[in-house]
Amino acid sequence: MATFAQPQTLVRPASSSSSESGLWSWLTTIDHKRIGILYGVSAIVFLFIGGLEAMLIRLQLARPENDLLSLDTYNSVFTMHGTTMIFLAVMPASTAWFNYLVPLQIGARDVAFPRLNALSFWLLLAGALILNLSFLAGAAPNAGWYGYAPLTEVLVGQTDTFNTGRNIEFWALGLQVLGISSLAASFNMIVTIFNLRAPGMTLMRMPIFTWATLITSILMVLAFPAITVALVLLQLDRFLGTHFYIPSQYVNGELTLTGGDPLLWQHLFWIFGHPEVYILILPAFGIVSEIIPVFSRKPLFGYAVMVYALAAIAFLGFGVWVHHMFTTGLGPTPTAIFAATTMLIAIPTGVKIFNWVGTMWGGQIRFSTPMLFAVGLVSQFTIGGISGVMHSSAPVDTQQNDSYFVVAHFHYVLFGGSIFALIAAVYFWFPKITGKMLDERLGKIHFWWTFLSFNAAFFPMHFLGLEGMPRRYASYGDGSGWWFWNVVVSIGSFALAASFVLLVYNIAKTLRSKERAPEDPWDAATLEWTTPSPPPVYNYKVIPTITNRDQFWADKYGTGQDHEEEADLEVRIGGMKIGSVDTEDENPEDQAATRRQNAQSGDSQSLGNIEEDEHIHMPNPSFYPLVVAIGLFLVAFGMIYSYPRLEIERLSLPVLSLFGLVVMLVGIAGWSLEPASDPEPDHDESVPLGTSSHA
Amino acid sequence: MATTALEVQRAGGGTTHGDSGHGGSSHPPTSTGIDSKKLLMWWFLGSECVLFGSLIATFMIYRNRAQDLSVNLQGIEGSGLAVSSGPFPNQVLDQLYTAVSAGVLLFSSFTMVLAVASVGRGNIKAFRVWTLATAMLGAIFLAGQYFEYTEFFHEGLSIQQNIFGASFFTLTGVHGMHVFVGVIWLTMLSIVSFRGGISKKDHTNVEVAGLYWHFIDIVWIVLFTLVYLLPYRDGAESAEEHTEGAMRLVQSLPFF
Ligand code: HEM
Ligand SMILES: [Cu+2]
Repeated sequence: MATFAQPQTLVRPASSSSSESGLWSWLTTIDHKRIGILYGVSAIVFLFIGGLEAMLIRLQLARPENDLLSLDTYNSVFTMHGTTMIFLAVMPASTAWFNYLVPLQIGARDVAFPRLNALSFWLLLAGALILNLSFLAGAAPNAGWYGYAPLTEVLVGQTDTFNTGRNIEFWALGLQVLGISSLAASFNMIVTIFNLRAPGMTLMRMPIFTWATLITSILMVLAFPAITVALVLLQLDRFLGTHFYIPSQYVNGELTLTGGDPLLWQHLFWIFGHPEVYILILPAFGIVSEIIPVFSRKPLFGYAVMVYALAAIAFLGFGVWVHHMFTTGLGPTPTAIFAATTMLIAIPTGVKIFNWVGTMWGGQIRFSTPMLFAVGLVSQFTIGGISGVMHSSAPVDTQQNDSYFVVAHFHYVLFGGSIFALIAAVYFWFPKITGKMLDERLGKIHFWWTFLSFNAAFFPMHFLGLEGMPRRYASYGDGSGWWFWNVVVSIGSFALAASFVLLVYNIAKTLRSKERAPEDPWDAATLEWTTPSPPPVYNYKVIPTITNRDQFWADKYGTGQDHEEEADLEVRIGGMKIGSVDTEDENPEDQAATRRQNAQSGDSQSLGNIEEDEHIHMPNPSFYPLVVAIGLFLVAFGMIYSYPRLEIERLSLPVLSLFGLVVMLVGIAGWSLEPASDPEPDHDESVPLGTSSHA
Repeated sequence: MATTALEVQRAGGGTTHGDSGHGGSSHPPTSTGIDSKKLLMWWFLGSECVLFGSLIATFMIYRNRAQDLSVNLQGIEGSGLAVSSGPFPNQVLDQLYTAVSAGVLLFSSFTMVLAVASVGRGNIKAFRVWTLATAMLGAIFLAGQYFEYTEFFHEGLSIQQNIFGASFFTLTGVHGMHVFVGVIWLTMLSIVSFRGGISKKDHTNVEVAGLYWHFIDIVWIVLFTLVYLLPYRDGAESAEEHTEGAMRLVQSLPFF
């Protein structure tokens, strides 16, 4: 039975401890919490860039026949707004929470592949850099976030056709790099969730946010390859002169049919694109499913059904992509089928809404800021969901397609859904990450400000759309009668943008204050709240043992409200039964205290004799992920700026890309040769425990 | 505390594993009992299925398109339209030649199995032989593809020539790149083994490489069937051959 009278040693080379806080330690970090923070900070930066672009859009449309932005600039601005918000703001923000929370929630010390995790982040930054450097090159992507062919195309040999600048190269290669980043992150999350769960944590005992992470990651793994292929074909069209998406070309001045089909792009894109919208929203669902129970002081209503609903949404999400193509004339049969599947998907989504309401029903609701934003999601997402069901009817969609009605719809789900939840998450988990509580009074003002200005900015878009205002137009006529609602929308948009200043102010103010938050300020149910704030690098001194779904509540309040049916819910993987624990009633107070102690000091009677915890092995920091990411960045960048070139027979290769390839290979070689963690603890200097991660 | 019942699973959520570099993995227990690297590979292959699925769908949509265009539009006088021309698949594809190289690749799955088995038994010498043999067979397959491509170039089929060339070279090229990566991977494994870096406990690492290798073999079976065995329609050599008109063209266009 180990007692920990002497300082417990955490073994790692002193020079590379991730409890350091210098720049180098951040560049080489492989700690999932730090990577989560890096993701989060990047997401906020890009949210502001995307917001700036939105402000430009709304300035331009604030009055009729405005010429603030040129037509070309307008194209670039809305394209980059959509691309930035989706790939650089919402997705990284979700990934930030995956990274920070999932290992803590499942009682693990890190993700399964920490260095791969770092690579995912650096690739995100590389892709983001490529996309945004396009502004400096004066060639920002300009074909919309879904880049329809042939707007993205170029006819080799013809100088004035379609999109001949580098705009689309920036877009396509930026997205390819981001795709690799997302794939790597998803593989990591899936393996982590399947393989690193604490003893006793069956799949059906996992926190619902972890479930959302798992399902979202599976969606990414199965959706991203489709856009990878779509973009490869696009690049072949542009670089090598194939005609996958162009039906005709000029040969010697004569129009020649090639057989290419622009609709192929639309299919491939939306086979990725529709799952992508669930990639954007499911993490948000996971977040509010954690928050609403805590502030209703009731376990999540219908946990199992919530899990099945997540899975059903993900599954059906692959069978609805044609609803984005109702107006392309595919004929009545496919249109009818896809209208039906689209309506079907409303069922599991509705189930989730009702379950949140069911969770609140009869609960002791506290309207703290996280809860306000979570309930905000339930209401606002529902509005977006309902206009979504409207689009699922093909004849109705034919009216609404490409109008501001659609813009209203997807902002209600993306902003009223994803962003609301992500803000709720910031208020909810901020004390865990920093040890400090965000100001509640400011938070409440922030919520109401956001809520009202959001509706002012986006609700009138429904009217504009129904009156026929098309999306993606840089201007509208004086006599159109649209100016009134456009003015309202623009004012609302600016107010909405300003609300984020309040959030940033709140964060800055809180970080500077000295007041410490309690470890479990909301009286929450999941494991991460048993750790100190911020959690140490290794998360748990002793890996926790799980006997209940809402484990920390069970510890604090006993298992009276327990799930008797638990045993029936056991899930087998690969023929192996995972966890077979009978829940016993213990004395709640003892239990909660033990839980905390275990997490923090490892000093407990029941879990004492575990040798593995004498030396907690954490993997070493590594800068090879960064090297590999830089290499890939150069490869992609060389393909955009393809001079000088190396000529070998028929081939003409961009030198920068070749150099990048070398850098990448060096990185990979270093990566595979460096030991992931120290082989023998005794060789290294030890850092006394307690120098916890700055996180 | 209900700890006793859990003792067996204790190590499940322990320290991180799977990322252990070259040092070899000593089967750390995981919640599922499946090695993390292996699980990673399975999910990777799942996403590869979508990648090849998308490429195959593209190919299937376009495999007869160049021929159909040439047949249907040749006869339309004065339409002002020209169509891109052959070579068409029936003129260039050599089933026998590719059947042989497909056989070579298939056989390499067999040697791969032997390589995995021998490292499992701790027989490193045999492992070396079979791994190198697998890599060699892969390289032979790639050489076969190189000569096939060269031959097609000589006959005038380049990636730009027509939509068949574009989809053919893209699909088989992406597969070829996968084989190339596999060859490099296996070569690295054998180099490491010559330097004494492979032992019985690397079984999982080798198994993971094997999973990848079998996967690209299976993909080739699908590709061989769809690209080489499934019959193509003929393209028109001259205007007189077919004058069915635009009807079939219209039918062939919306590919849904
Ligand atoms: C202050 C907040 C925001 C404002 C005022 C705003 C405004 C707009 C407007 C007016 C458009 C239509 C441009 C046009 O069609 O001409 C647009 C497009 C779009 N927005 Fe936002 N937006 C905001 C936040 C967001 C967020 C948070 C997301 C995603 C998470 C998002 C995603 C998109 C997308 C995907 C498009 C379509 C771009 C395209 O057509 O290619 N927006 N936004
Ligand atoms: Cu959709």
